[in-house]
Amino acid sequence: MSVALAVMDTSNSEVAVVDRATESSAAKKSRFERDALQYTHQLYAAALRYTKDQHDAQDLVQDTYAKAFVAFHQFEPGTNLKAWLYRILTTTFINTYRKDQRRPQISDGELEDWQIFDAASHTSDQGRSAEDVALDGIADLDVRAALAAMPEDFRIAVYLADVEGFSYKEIAEIVGVPAGTVMSRLHRGRKLLRVALADYAKERGFNRGASHE
Amino acid sequence: MNNINSVPCDQIMQTLFLYIDHELPSEQEYQTYQFHFLECSDCHEVMVHESAALAFMQSLLRDTCNEQAPEDLLTRIREQTATLAGQNQVGYFSSSTTITNISFDGTTSIQVTQEFTHEIRHEVTEGE
Repeated sequence: MSVALAVMDTSNSEVAVVDRATESSAAKKSRFERDALQYTHQLYAAALRYTKDQHDAQDLVQDTYAKAFVAFHQFEPGTNLKAWLYRILTTTFINTYRKDQRRPQISDGELEDWQIFDAASHTSDQGRSAEDVALDGIADLDVRAALAAMPEDFRIAVYLADVEGFSYKEIAEIVGVPAGTVMSRLHRGRKLLRVALADYAKERGFNRGASHE
Repeated sequence: MNNINSVPCDQIMQTLFLYIDHELPSEQEYQTYQFHFLECSDCHEVMVHESAALAFMQSLLRDTCNEQAPEDLLTRIREQTATLAGQNQVGYFSSSTTITNISFDGTTSIQVTQEFTHEIRHEVTEGE
């Protein structure tokens, strides 16, 4: 008997059919707490990168969860909840938190150009290996600073791809731009980040060397 | 580096990122790349190096961007959820919430009006 029950339980567990039209407020709340709140830490880390400020990051995450809860009946269970939450987080950030900031220096039009890929294709030169090796000595602080110094659109693209592992298509939906634009921002962003990290690493190496003398 | 199997190295290098990111549009294109790498050790070497460099940068970023949300943020979100669900019985206040104009992607602004009413609790203290 207990075996039969166990089997039934597992079949019910994951993508249970939810009638969202008639779902009670309490049921919605517990579904939200079970499924959505587990991403709080991840969203907070992303919000820190977006806003570069602890207070703004907290407000942004809280706003995101308010919107997410209110719109939760529109979320299709079984689809990508993390991407859905990131979409709210990112859209809220773009619409609210950066209103008073100027747009990044480089226009998207400029970045659509496939020529960008040319720049990165000449990577088999010798200097780069040394650069990569040097990154071993880099500190968390430097990585955060390098990210913070990047133009916002690039930073968001790199974060979503390289920290969260979203696909180009998912990032396009999260940010609300064409996949080609994501590709360009990501590619350019990674290049910038790599150069910036190498600079920090060199500086560290320098300082370490100097302090030993 | 010259034309190998009719796919020039330039062309392979230009979209190497898509190969590394697993974002090539078709299985056939992966085969084109793989075949090219078998034939061209220079391109293969670049691909291996670029893959490793990207993987290293990603691990660096992931190790850095792992902050935990502060405890009081978690508490506030739970309270907010309870309030929005209209069942916040916690504490000494009741609340009412008004929400208008919501869209699922968060583009439409959300207006939340919260009224907190303090409820005085009559606690009977026994004896003296």
